[in-house]
Amino acid sequence: MNMVSKIEAAAPAAPIPAAQPRRAATRPAPVRKSRLRYRLENLAWQIVLIGGFLLLWEYASDRWVPKLMVSKPSEIGAMMWKWLMDGTYLSNLWVTIQATFFGFLFGAGAGMIVGFLTGSWRRLGDILQPIVTAFYTLPRLALAPLFLLWFGLGIEFRIVFAATIVFFLVYYNTYFGVREVSRELISAVRIMGASRIQVMTRVIIPSALVWVAAGLKISVPYALVGVVVAEMLASDKGMGFLLSRSASQFSASGSFAAIAGLLVVALIVDWIITKITDRALRWKTVAEQK
Amino acid sequence: MLLELRDVHFRYHGEAPILEGFDLDIAHGEFVALLGPSGCGKSTLLNLAAGLLDPLAGEVDFGGKALTGLNRDAGYMTQGDTLLPWMTVTNNIGLPLELRNVPRGERRDKIERALKLVNLWEARDKFPSELSGGMKRRALLARSIIYDPPMLLMDEPFGALDAQMRETMHQELLDTVGRTGESVLFVTHDISESILLADRILVLGGRPLKVLEEVRIAWGKDRDLDKIRKDPEYTALETRLRDLLRAAHS
Ligand SMILES: Nc1ncnc2c1ncn2[C@@H]1O[C@H](COP(=O)(O)OP(=O)(O)OP(=O)(O)O)[C@@H](O)[C@H]1O
Ligand SMILES: [Mg+2]
Repeated sequence: MNMVSKIEAAAPAAPIPAAQPRRAATRPAPVRKSRLRYRLENLAWQIVLIGGFLLLWEYASDRWVPKLMVSKPSEIGAMMWKWLMDGTYLSNLWVTIQATFFGFLFGAGAGMIVGFLTGSWRRLGDILQPIVTAFYTLPRLALAPLFLLWFGLGIEFRIVFAATIVFFLVYYNTYFGVREVSRELISAVRIMGASRIQVMTRVIIPSALVWVAAGLKISVPYALVGVVVAEMLASDKGMGFLLSRSASQFSASGSFAAIAGLLVVALIVDWIITKITDRALRWKTVAEQK
Repeated sequence: MLLELRDVHFRYHGEAPILEGFDLDIAHGEFVALLGPSGCGKSTLLNLAAGLLDPLAGEVDFGGKALTGLNRDAGYMTQGDTLLPWMTVTNNIGLPLELRNVPRGERRDKIERALKLVNLWEARDKFPSELSGGMKRRALLARSIIYDPPMLLMDEPFGALDAQMRETMHQELLDTVGRTGESVLFVTHDISESILLADRILVLGGRPLKVLEEVRIAWGKDRDLDKIRKDPEYTALETRLRDLLRAAHS
């Protein structure tokens, strides 16, 4: 029954969606080793690699490379400890996380809504899609001065700046996700008696969710990047500010400590998003996990 | 007549015509099997009956009315896999009932019966990606027969089943059809299967597609499959159909 595939063939010429959904393993791999053991082994390797790198860094600093430029893990650690204790981390991270959260929320929300509408309403999509693409190609950084003019130095500027980045990532994934839904499945469900709304909730949304989730997942770090960049450009708070201040004071350990703080936040946020999307996509991950 | 194809013309874009003035009638309660070489146009006929394809000329009538849009009075078991990957076997099989607002209690009973029938009770909470090819076919089968539509369109429904399962399903399909009075349009490559199940067998072939031979089977609905297998007439029919199919291939 492949006569329907013709309809899907007309893919519009547009930027490739930013993220591909995870390929589903059609058959789970046969079990060889216990999964826990495999994971522990990987963890051990990761610790060895990172530990080795830190040791090398510690040793090389001041011997092979000037300490002023690369600092030293032990000094960075001390700086991190200090920031942790005096609340520098807490207050600045909180500012950054807030802006990231709202930037992500607004960008992703708008991206999903516009992507869903243009994806499921073909005519609207054909009209709007090229316009969105034109905006997408615009360098976001070029908009920063304009945004500053409109929103001032406050958190609004950082939120809007991050949201414009997230929007496009989520938009493209939603748009293509909705368009890629198998016509064959839609026809099958309609023959079984589904109404338009039932087709939407039973087929289109669950199917597009794979793409949407992939878009959401990759756009979280981008939201963080957007906020940090905005903070570096114009702010007196946040991790980006901490980073640019440290750099302007020639404090390599401060810069690295700020980066390390961001790293931890990024890892935590990614972990949370993965948990949430994996739950929604259990049908897809179940075969891979076994 | 329940399903009528009148002077139907059809071709895929940029291909030679598959149907040029094709006629097909299926009466209420009739079981019609289609035999024919691979690629001759059997699935295309089923898609026309399901309203998934529109004829270029001619008419497809269902229940005395011209078919516009999809045929919601037909249960269609397609040749391809149309299980929804995000639903468990149970939810997939119950989907037609859910869409038709069948009450929850009745739904559960029917699903349970269907699951046991096709031997998927143990796999009821699995997702399609965790099933074998034959298990998927069984789930599709259960989904298409669970809601007793006036007509069943079945495209090689038993191809991937083991011999034991196939015999069970043959009996079950005959019982269901006998009980509900459903019509069936059934595509198969298995000659003996067509003789065991159908009231009428159409041997198809050629381009444009023609009915090369029409064979009526007179055993009725409450036939005894074991007895038929031993009937000399069964062997004679099998030989005849085999020769016809060989001719259809050339
Ligand atoms: N979407 C399509 N686009 C173009 N040609 C098609 C399409 N689908 C089928 N065909 C062609 O139409 C012809 C009939 O196809 P159809 O699927 O009806 O065959 P079939 O009799 O069901 O074969 P099989 O027994 O192998 O399932 C084939 O030659 C095939 O190549
Ligand atoms: Mg076919």
